Amino acid sequence: MPDSGYPWPISMTRLDNGLRVVVSEDRTAPAVAVNLWYDVGSRHEPAGQTGFAHLFEHLMFEGSTHVAKTEHMKLVQGAGGSLNATTNPDRTNYFETVPAEHLELALWLEADRMGGLVPALTQETLDNQRDVVKNERRQRYENVPYGDAWLRLLPLLYPPGHPYHHATIGSMADLNAADLATFQAFHQTYYAPNNAVLTVVGDTTVDEVVTLAEKYFGGIPPRPEIPPAPDGRVVPATGVPVEETVVADVPAPRVYVAHRTHPFGSPGYDVVTVLATVLGSGRGSRLYQRLADGERLAQPDLVGAYGVDLAHAPAPLIATATARPGVSAEQLAAGLAEVVDELATVPVTTAELDRAKALLTTAWWRQMSTVDGRADALSRYATQFGDPATVAERLPGWLAVTAEQIAEVATETLAAADRVTLTYLPEEAR
Amino acid sequence: MTLIADRPAPGIARPYRFPQVVRRSVAGGQVVAAHLPRQNLAVAMLLLDAGAGREPVGREGLGGVLAKALEEGTAQRDATAYALAIEALGTELVTGLDWDTFQASVQVPVGRLGAAVELLAEAVRTPRLDPDDVRRVRDDEVTALRINWANPGPRADAALRADLFGAGNRWGRPMYGDPDSVAGLDVEDVTVFHSEWFIRPGTLVVAGDLDRLDLDALAATAFAGTGGGPVDRGAPIEVPVRTGRRIILVDRPGSVQSTLRLGHPGPHRAHPDHVPIALAGTVLGGAFTSRLNHLIREVRGYTYGIRGDFASSRRFGRFAVSSGVQTAVTAPALVEAVGEIARTQSGGVTEDELAVARSWRAGQLSVELQSPRAIAGALSTLVVHDLPDDYHARLREELLAAQVDQVSAAAATHLHPESLTLVVEGDAAVIRDELVATGLGELIDHPAAG
Repeated sequence: MPDSGYPWPISMTRLDNGLRVVVSEDRTAPAVAVNLWYDVGSRHEPAGQTGFAHLFEHLMFEGSTHVAKTEHMKLVQGAGGSLNATTNPDRTNYFETVPAEHLELALWLEADRMGGLVPALTQETLDNQRDVVKNERRQRYENVPYGDAWLRLLPLLYPPGHPYHHATIGSMADLNAADLATFQAFHQTYYAPNNAVLTVVGDTTVDEVVTLAEKYFGGIPPRPEIPPAPDGRVVPATGVPVEETVVADVPAPRVYVAHRTHPFGSPGYDVVTVLATVLGSGRGSRLYQRLADGERLAQPDLVGAYGVDLAHAPAPLIATATARPGVSAEQLAAGLAEVVDELATVPVTTAELDRAKALLTTAWWRQMSTVDGRADALSRYATQFGDPATVAERLPGWLAVTAEQIAEVATETLAAADRVTLTYLPEEAR
Repeated sequence: MTLIADRPAPGIARPYRFPQVVRRSVAGGQVVAAHLPRQNLAVAMLLLDAGAGREPVGREGLGGVLAKALEEGTAQRDATAYALAIEALGTELVTGLDWDTFQASVQVPVGRLGAAVELLAEAVRTPRLDPDDVRRVRDDEVTALRINWANPGPRADAALRADLFGAGNRWGRPMYGDPDSVAGLDVEDVTVFHSEWFIRPGTLVVAGDLDRLDLDALAATAFAGTGGGPVDRGAPIEVPVRTGRRIILVDRPGSVQSTLRLGHPGPHRAHPDHVPIALAGTVLGGAFTSRLNHLIREVRGYTYGIRGDFASSRRFGRFAVSSGVQTAVTAPALVEAVGEIARTQSGGVTEDELAVARSWRAGQLSVELQSPRAIAGALSTLVVHDLPDDYHARLREELLAAQVDQVSAAAATHLHPESLTLVVEGDAAVIRDELVATGLGELIDHPAAG
């Protein structure tokens, strides 16, 4: 067992304005990854403002005090870099990887939009990006079969008022109602240096990064009181299974089974991660062996299970299968439930456990094989657990999971009485 | 609030270096490897001259079915035992297929690569191919394709390809086949394709810390029991561009977006204009700030994104633009996209645009080539297109040296806005009249799926 999942140096410095600056030097390739996590996500959105954190992410590319509209993308790509941003329930993440000589440019751009977005924000920009986001919603969720499964699962898993009750993409009605003043206030509230982590990984030094961070971010004032998201850590079990059936233009019946488990980062969630791999990753997984190969109920390429790595409430575990021709949704749902149930009753063998740990080990080192993968991990651990060095504990944590723990966590969190089942039926089966 | 107003100048660039490439001939096959010191993961990829281009017309999807069937048991163990053995090493058998090659690869912590290559070779060289298993895999693949073809895109892609290259040719049909072509495959198709193409040695690509790997041993495993030499790959195919534009409408009732696929035939991979063509494509539709994405997304808000590029294989190529646009703006989006293609063809590119394109493409050779998987992909480009070890360094120099007149000339020569096929997959009842009214070309209704 490796004693560390992160065999590179890590340093963290806190600037006077509260910005945490994480640096991990690696001179292997002449590239640097710059990664910012802002501790704001869709969990902070009040009713009527769903989708705002994500729409805001789009606005961050549309210019700031010293950067013209469209210039951000042009400057990073024109420096040879890759860039993007993502929003999820927990946080908003901005990142670029550039040839090392352009590190200072990347930091200048990030500082300018952290400290100077509001003066550049216009109604025209908001209207344009609102249209873009509505098209993103159409493309990813509305115009593809089963595309809205995630939108449907969240409100079934988390009650109204819970920070994970609604999906990050938001509703069309809320997006349509978004006004400029709300977004200006959103930036002023959450985009403060003391609500962010800046990570730089790659061909640089701690001194260089801290000096540049002080130069570009040091003048941005902190915000004294940043309102927290609602507390979602306790979700009372109802003891009543939840089932929803959707009749839609889909090519085959599909079933999702979902449970609330433990928050990402907790020992319980390490168990869930290994459990999900045993259950649903690869041809050697229980779901594949039982439903795709054994009883031949499920389409081989469309069976699987995964945890969704959310840290601020019991995170979802989702298992899914799509019916082979001639197999009914009822048969499939019963088969899926049986395999999930058996995690509590049929002990995981050593071979199953070793297989899961081997796959997770490769997945871990795959993320660590790029400077951008490492930067994202360090930002996560600094933001969510206060110390980037805790990144090293995750892989050993997975490798320490036992079969007994899997059975315990399955008994505790995967009970049929606390299960969400979402079923899609093709329209002709109505 | 104090923000620094002045944009910083770049520092001093370190010289570009692609990892050291090692080539060997072992046991009748070729090894091409890259040394990645201290990298914990390693990738091995077996490349076979068994791409979709080798499939007989009417047998599209054969390679895909064979790829799945490889894991249904080998001479040594059944499917379950095989899955458990390879996954216990931390990898799945990853297979891939393009026009030029079939690829099978594994990715594991470096100390396990030898064992993983043994299992890779066992599946590729000695699959059981039991007739019942092959039929079941085929049927599953038919269903998988049916499910995939319920998404927007595959039908539009197929319509474009058929119109560009002719449905009578293998390269005018979908790379992975369609539900009907796969349904028509029989067991013998699969076993014959295997014996014809999968027991030739091929090339083993390795990306990892070569100080901890034995290339000769890996190659001996990968090439054991193989025979037969290389087969003629065929010359580039001359594909005429059509005279006059046309619109092909693929009906998708109720669709909230229209899927656009615009294209025409383009140069094959070895064309001497490859670099300026790629840069012209980047300016028009490759970068985020490309002309198409700027206008259709950032100015108009019609789409989440629009991309265009030239893609090429050994024998043929194509230019294509793809997007999904809100149904209500299908016609204006189409008109404006065609307008940008025409403007680029007639007016060329500007220095400002080219500066972004050349730096971006050159920088990507450092930024995107970090992981063993990415490096293995870069090595496979060397193998498939017979390129030298210093290809990536030379490519970088060529990109950075490209001039406006060269790239504008490539756009003028290789873009054909008057010959575009404009495939629109969307709600025909809503968009048909507007499409006709654009006057962009004759509208043809694509036959409904059978």
